[in-house]
Amino acid sequence: MSLELIPMLLLSLLLMASDGAGADTAHLVLAGDHRLDAASEAVIVGDARANVPDGAVLTAPIYVIGGTTRIDGTVRARVTHIAGTLVIEDDAEIAELRQISGNRTVAPTADIGRRTSVDLATRTRDPARSVVPPAVAVVVLALVGGRLARTRRRNLDNVARAVERHPVVTATVGTLLTLTALSLLMFMAFTLVLIPVSIVGLTAGVAVTALGIVAWGHRFGRLLPLQRPGTATAAGVAAVIVLLHLAGGIPVVGDLIVGFVVLSGLGAVAVTYLGFNDFEPAALPIETRDTGSPTLASDV
Amino acid sequence: MHEAEAVASRRPPSRRLWLFDLIAQRRWVPVTGYVFCIALLTAGYYYNLTFVQLGLIDLGTSRLGMSGRSVSLVMALLALVALAVSVATGVVMDRRGWSGDLRTRLRVLTVVTAVQLTLTLLAPLLGAPGTFVVWVVVCAGSIGAAMPITFSFMADLIPVRDRGFAAAVPAGLSFFVASLYPQQWRVEEFSAVMAAVMAPAVVVLALLAFRPSRLVDRLARLRGRFGSGRFTRPPAPTASTSTFAVIVAAMFAVFFIDSLGFLRIIDTPAYISTSWQSPDPGVRLFIAGVHVAGAAMAGVLYTTFDWRWLLVWVYGLFGFTHLLYTFHLGTAADAVPPLLLPGMYVLAVSFYTTLNFALWPDLSTAETIGTRCAVGVGVAGWLASFLSTSLALYSDAAGVSLLAHLRYVDALALLLLAAVPLLLYAARVRVLARVELP
Repeated sequence: MSLELIPMLLLSLLLMASDGAGADTAHLVLAGDHRLDAASEAVIVGDARANVPDGAVLTAPIYVIGGTTRIDGTVRARVTHIAGTLVIEDDAEIAELRQISGNRTVAPTADIGRRTSVDLATRTRDPARSVVPPAVAVVVLALVGGRLARTRRRNLDNVARAVERHPVVTATVGTLLTLTALSLLMFMAFTLVLIPVSIVGLTAGVAVTALGIVAWGHRFGRLLPLQRPGTATAAGVAAVIVLLHLAGGIPVVGDLIVGFVVLSGLGAVAVTYLGFNDFEPAALPIETRDTGSPTLASDV
Repeated sequence: MHEAEAVASRRPPSRRLWLFDLIAQRRWVPVTGYVFCIALLTAGYYYNLTFVQLGLIDLGTSRLGMSGRSVSLVMALLALVALAVSVATGVVMDRRGWSGDLRTRLRVLTVVTAVQLTLTLLAPLLGAPGTFVVWVVVCAGSIGAAMPITFSFMADLIPVRDRGFAAAVPAGLSFFVASLYPQQWRVEEFSAVMAAVMAPAVVVLALLAFRPSRLVDRLARLRGRFGSGRFTRPPAPTASTSTFAVIVAAMFAVFFIDSLGFLRIIDTPAYISTSWQSPDPGVRLFIAGVHVAGAAMAGVLYTTFDWRWLLVWVYGLFGFTHLLYTFHLGTAADAVPPLLLPGMYVLAVSFYTTLNFALWPDLSTAETIGTRCAVGVGVAGWLASFLSTSLALYSDAAGVSLLAHLRYVDALALLLLAAVPLLLYAARVRVLARVELP
């Protein structure tokens, strides 16, 4: 299961809870091929290929958050399309189609009772619009970075130093934290009661990750020929985000670079206690490198 | 000492692996020591993991037709004999000074490995439960004798700074191989694989141990430089006997919970056929890969953080994993379990295995390594694994449902998860009280 599915899953669970219908009996399909014949409980389609065959009648809502869903039959409830691909064939009959995002092919003769759209980020084909969210991120993080460099310089220094001196350790801590925290948050979301906690956790995670990137930018800013610390950090943050976006375009290697920068930043924020502490690894005994006398407990 | 500390505080000591320096300087004798030590630990752990833990259960139940309960009794016997022999071996090692004598330990190990090779070849030929019990007792004796010796090589051949790495490689590698090969958990397959590896190993060991060898002489001299463990000398000397007892108890609990849960999970076709014994090689490769990644992470964290933090992580991972399994059983038992479940499990297992390899040598000096490794691995590893194996088989035979069984495991994991921070807090209170009170 891919990690970017988790926010979608949270959103679908939230929508399901607010819709009120059958929120306590959700069926999640995450992988493989599935025939949805006569499901009477809500279905969430993750990274799977789901198919409502011709002649099938479903009475519970469907939430598409990934993968491919093909509808040939009848759905007497709402179909919510959050992400992934949704194909609605000629003979399909759907009570209500709620469109949020994702790729959609709707046959012209399909019988759709009602269409609602909560278009959050449609028409991303438009180049001007696809640039807007990253640009906003650059501006916001650069401003935050510039401000932190003036008010909380020591924190940024500590985080940046941890990344610089201990890249392997910070990346390891970041990876482990991300893995366990995301699993934990998803697990919380499944209990439905804990969805708010899960959302708070996800937000905190995003904030900590952003702080890590700001610290990378702070370090990078020192290499730029800018005198004022706030400006240098802001420019560094902007440069790092742009570089990360460019690196993301390279296959495999780019993903590794982006993963390393993001995870090591996150790990560094964690091990420095949000930058309030200069990270020092546990002290190891002083080993005589080559020749010379050993340091044994009896010598001390 | 103060001088050395002053130097260290001016320039932070390098945390790069010493192995890299050795290779760069082309000093092949210590590098050979690394390879020898890691290969020995990997092979030994693979043997215990597959042949002993899974192969013997198959031998007892499906080939000899013994009941689950009697196999569980035999396993408990194996644990007790292995523990007794290993502690005896460890004490003899320390008393006689073998702990400091590489060649003597190599000789004992050669004899023990030869015995194990014979046992392995005999295993598929066993025909009656009576001979099986005798076989198990001899096998337990050989395992018990080999264990403190194998672990003590870590002190001879691996410097403290590299021990996280040297522990991660056997942990990751043996699990990696075990999860890819052999496919079927049957005693004949295990036996064939083991014999093919052990036969050349016995020859090499015999050549090193019984003939005059300059390599062994030069390897023996390394010990003077990195014999004493990380927690036995400044700057973090925490290895008092009481701390050692606490760590043994903590690791016992980890192993106990793991086996208690795992042996029931692998008995459940829905879980095992979608993970460890999946027909899809991609799934098995995923599990093998997570083992390696988990061990590597644990190796990095071991050298960077205090053992207390690592214990908290291990308990946290285990508690969470068991919660995931219980939740899945309770809500969606008929659905295909997501890979996240075995993934988290494997991460936790690789974590504590790495910890287990590095911790005991690092809690010992040259004088105590035999006893401490024997007690540590014996009580925490063997006793816990096999007591819980017996208990898991017993609960299966007694008809306890998987959900009820895992609920007990969960309860234990939660209890420990709560206990560790409390104990850490109590330890701090004790330190402060000692300063305050005369």
